[in-house]
Amino acid sequence: MEYQKKELPDKVKNTGFLFAGIGLLLIAVSYILDPRREAFNNIIGLTFFASIAIGALALVALEYISGAVWSVPFRRVSEFIASSLPLVLVFAIPLFLMLGMLFHWTHPEVVSADKLLSGKSPYLNIPFFIGRTIGVILVLYVFYALFTRNSRKQDESKEQGLTRTNVKLSAAFMPVAGIGLTLLSIDWIMSLEPHWYSTIFGVYYISATLLAGLAATTYASVSLNEAGYLIPGVNKDHYYSLGALMFAITNFWAYIAFSQFLLIWYANIPEESIWFVMRWEGGWKYISILLIFVRFVIPYAGLLSQPSKSNPKRLKQISIFILIAHFFDLYWLIMPTFSKTVVFSFYELGFPLFVVGVVILAFYYQTKKHNLVAVGDPKLQRGLDFHL
Amino acid sequence: MRTFDYTQELPVVDGQPPAKAIDDVVSKPLDTKPGKVWKILITITSLMLLVGGGALVWTFYKGIGVWGNNQPVSWGFDIVNFVFWVGIGHAGTLISAILFLLRQRWRTGIARFAEAMTIFAVMCAGIFPAIHTGRAWLDGYLFPYPNANHIWVNFTSPLLWDVFAVSTYFTVSLVFWYIGLIPDFATLRDRTESKLKKTIYTIFSLGWRHSTRHWQHYEKTYMILAGFATPLVLSVHTIVSFDFAVSVIPGWHTTIFPPYFVAGAVFSGFAMVQNVLIFVRQAFNMKHIITIKHLERMNQIIILVGTMVGYAYAMEFFIAWYSGNQFETFTFINRAFGPYAWAYWIMVSCNVILPQLFWSKKIRTTIVPMFVIGIIVNIGMWFERFVIIVTSLSRDFLPSSWGMYTPTIYDLGILMFSFGLFFTNVLIFVKTMPSVSISEIKAVVDGAQPSHRGGGHHE
Amino acid sequence: MTEHSRHTEEADIMNKKIYSIGGLFDTPDSITHAAEEAVKEGYTKFDVNTPYPVHGMESAMKLKPSLIGLVTLFIGLSGAAFAFMFMYWVSVVDYPLIIGGKPFFSWPAFVPVTFEVTVLSAAVGTVAVMIALFFKFPNNAHPLHDTNYMKHVSSDRFGLNVVAIDPLFDESKVRDFLSRTGAKDIEIFYEPERKPIRVFDPKFIGLLVVIAMVTAGVTYFTLNKLLYMPPFTWMAEQDRLSSQSQNAMFTDGFGMRNPVEGTVARGFTPYEFKGQPDSVVRNLSNPLPFSKEVIDRGKMRYNTYCSPCHGYFGKGDSRLNGQFPNPPTLHSDKVRNWPDGNIYHVITNGQNVMPSYDKQITRDDRWAIIHYIRVLQRSLNAKDTDLETKK
Repeated sequence: MEYQKKELPDKVKNTGFLFAGIGLLLIAVSYILDPRREAFNNIIGLTFFASIAIGALALVALEYISGAVWSVPFRRVSEFIASSLPLVLVFAIPLFLMLGMLFHWTHPEVVSADKLLSGKSPYLNIPFFIGRTIGVILVLYVFYALFTRNSRKQDESKEQGLTRTNVKLSAAFMPVAGIGLTLLSIDWIMSLEPHWYSTIFGVYYISATLLAGLAATTYASVSLNEAGYLIPGVNKDHYYSLGALMFAITNFWAYIAFSQFLLIWYANIPEESIWFVMRWEGGWKYISILLIFVRFVIPYAGLLSQPSKSNPKRLKQISIFILIAHFFDLYWLIMPTFSKTVVFSFYELGFPLFVVGVVILAFYYQTKKHNLVAVGDPKLQRGLDFHL
Repeated sequence: MRTFDYTQELPVVDGQPPAKAIDDVVSKPLDTKPGKVWKILITITSLMLLVGGGALVWTFYKGIGVWGNNQPVSWGFDIVNFVFWVGIGHAGTLISAILFLLRQRWRTGIARFAEAMTIFAVMCAGIFPAIHTGRAWLDGYLFPYPNANHIWVNFTSPLLWDVFAVSTYFTVSLVFWYIGLIPDFATLRDRTESKLKKTIYTIFSLGWRHSTRHWQHYEKTYMILAGFATPLVLSVHTIVSFDFAVSVIPGWHTTIFPPYFVAGAVFSGFAMVQNVLIFVRQAFNMKHIITIKHLERMNQIIILVGTMVGYAYAMEFFIAWYSGNQFETFTFINRAFGPYAWAYWIMVSCNVILPQLFWSKKIRTTIVPMFVIGIIVNIGMWFERFVIIVTSLSRDFLPSSWGMYTPTIYDLGILMFSFGLFFTNVLIFVKTMPSVSISEIKAVVDGAQPSHRGGGHHE
Repeated sequence: MTEHSRHTEEADIMNKKIYSIGGLFDTPDSITHAAEEAVKEGYTKFDVNTPYPVHGMESAMKLKPSLIGLVTLFIGLSGAAFAFMFMYWVSVVDYPLIIGGKPFFSWPAFVPVTFEVTVLSAAVGTVAVMIALFFKFPNNAHPLHDTNYMKHVSSDRFGLNVVAIDPLFDESKVRDFLSRTGAKDIEIFYEPERKPIRVFDPKFIGLLVVIAMVTAGVTYFTLNKLLYMPPFTWMAEQDRLSSQSQNAMFTDGFGMRNPVEGTVARGFTPYEFKGQPDSVVRNLSNPLPFSKEVIDRGKMRYNTYCSPCHGYFGKGDSRLNGQFPNPPTLHSDKVRNWPDGNIYHVITNGQNVMPSYDKQITRDDRWAIIHYIRVLQRSLNAKDTDLETKK
């Protein structure tokens, strides 16, 4: 329990600024060159960022509700990553101004000519759309604020009742986050093709979100622990748990993705299969096949054996890889609407770099203000004593 | 006094019973003559088995024409009951495998029992696909083997996937269960006085010696099996859901079916395990091994998966409207307000509304209300399958081919038979086998493991 | 008492070989300590028996990590590969059927079964290998069974025993070691006398014969008798009309009905030259290519439909032993000079005694038969040039 608060080195801040700077530059250039394409990339950036932040927040809530102890030494890491949550809205604001470029249900003349779209207009209309996005982010942010406020208070008071409050909060958080993520995924990704629908789509995005949050947390936790910023006592078994959880969620993602594909492929109803046909023609075939490997096969093989799940070097590699794969997945979900043929160049790189930079900076400034370990958590000692 | 303390782990066993006492408690039902309650219960369940068996025999003799299935509802009770029973089985694997991988040690007291229930439930489930073929004695053709007709099964059919999924699930559950039983059989072998029992236990324990050189492989294998059972349990109900979802019937073809069916399966399974455990701990004095805290945990999981099921209902409804597909929209309106609305509202109130009572800690920790809610959940989940199957088939695309479904007395008889089979098996199990894992319980009692400082064996 | 008898009979002990010496410990800490000491002492062939797996015991005993995971990996991958290839073979090679408009090789549909077979083979295989190869079970004749030691390690105490095959084994030293580390109830275990297993024991052979006979009998009865008894025959014996049986419902009493007058089968085009003279159809030419496949087809059809009267080689040597008038030979100049269209016309409409074959033989098959008849004719009237082409 002998935790010493240490400042992160300036290197972290500089890296954050470097990423954010290059990203911002690329974004600016791309917006000037091809605003429509960059608007689509902006959606990728938005959903990428939202899944890292919300995923990290969901891990905090999952720890409380499941009574897990092994993750207590890393909980602050997740909390700090989640602190960037309100910035997600910053990514949405330029998009609110360009909705017409992205979603063809925003054009009244299109909607009135299309029976299906006019049927959907009580849901797919601009004010409600904007309201949903802002509402979801704000409500989740309230949860974030409450979780972290209680946790920080606990650093001083060591009051167990605060954990209890957070457990109750997390019980409420679960359905709210589930619905919120579903709405975000339907709005920002599914309604790009407003005629297409899939009931599993929310679950698909939820699994990807958890994985993204976990990968970010894993990378940060393992690096910080290796550099000695966390509390001593974190051992192989903690790493193993992180690795095993990443492995499990990777499999879960594959399960959801395959279920969606198999059912649509098998029934072969034109209005549904068109979505996969779009991802099979014009060179997208290769991206789709690559996705299977990048998103599933490689992380699966990388984490399959028991030693690799607790190997810090492997964990760092795989967590970075999973984040890249997550970006790639979103690219695959969103870009076929923009272009019938595969496009990939520096336009696509601005947003991911910027998001990574922003998360690093948010993390850095949090560590200046708060402890990197929840020293007052009653489960901390049990968490450090954790053995498989 | 505070009722919670986060600095301590939830004890798996109340108190610190010595190892010998655990042997005694667990093997007591095996060594004593059956009590009055047990005799009454087995009489009831055997009667169910017998009377329901009559309906089964009549079906064999006369053919499945005696059932209520007919066009357009060509799938009726047979598949409703099949899905229901497979679902019941899922909780067992969840407790024994998934909670094992998640290091939830509180599962120890209830794992063996839950695994046994899995096996019995899958047996009950297996009856229905086996008899619905009409000529159950020819079911060998369901498996691909080089037969004289030189024909092969259709590997692209989800019904065939079911054959593989259910038989794999049954086999792997059985193996998993038996592996867990081997050390306990050895313990029983070394403590029994009866010669007959000794012979039986000797055969089943295979000569187990509690050797560390064996425990090493044994634990690893147990973990591997748990690792396999986890995706297996997901795959089984997923494949069951494919039976419906690969079709184009409105209300069946929806992509959320796989996770939705799995959540529903766990939901009903947990309710069933909770019910039977309450009975066992009362009847066999195991209140310190199956504690009220374990039951509370189970109830929390019930409400968690219940919420997932609720999410799926909502999502289906929302997308049915959002899709703008008139058939989808109609199907869901028909479910809620059509001729089978009564079944729909039973389903919603039993699965979504009433389990919300578990948010109250008092209800979660009191035996009678939780028992009642457990039963209600199972009624609701049975009706969920009924609603999905019957409403979608009875009114699909063409109003000219709509029709209603009414089960016959033989349908009900076979349903009763399956319940009789399940509970008879459970009752025989608790009297003949250790219904709690002796070796696992011993390992998690306080003081059973070397103290952390003394051994010096940790990395 | 009887279970301990072999240890109490002094006379026997003199003749018996020691298997191992073991002692019992009371706490998990003391057994862990003892295991560490045994390793320090240099013992390699010793074992620790505990009623449940004690944490850290493997590292205390310095055991190598279990390799059972590799077994699982190997069996699982083999199972997956087998399942996938088998389904490919069935669905694409051996029994291809178009189902739901999908290609024969519908790999997404093979995924579920591949997964199930992988899990089944890996789980069952791992357990079977572990029990049979790693543990060498079943083994109920082990020296440790039915001892006081086993009774306790099965229930509430922890045992350590050093096996006699250890290179450092020495009875008194091991006893010393055990008591030094705090063991109680030190016990010596002896190898049981092993009776040789007699495979050719007449009783055993007799048992095998009986089992074989019963199995064969039950199988025979089930497959040849039982399945032809009610209720198993209900599909065969049901309230329906068998073909060519009487039916009182119709005035003519026939069970089988003729199609309504003027019915045309789907996809059927009537023969346009029906009943017309030969000259009309002479100019029809054979639409089929003169290829080996066509000739083989023609031979098959010819042998089925034509050869009973015309003979296998078209010589008019009927196999019907004169029940009908023998047809003339097909090798006559008249037939040889007929154009293909004429033969076609004869097959279709019949000629003299020969009936029409248009119901039995499809149009393409008729043309294939004509090619074959030409082959037969040529075989008796080969030209010199045929020999050259043989090269």
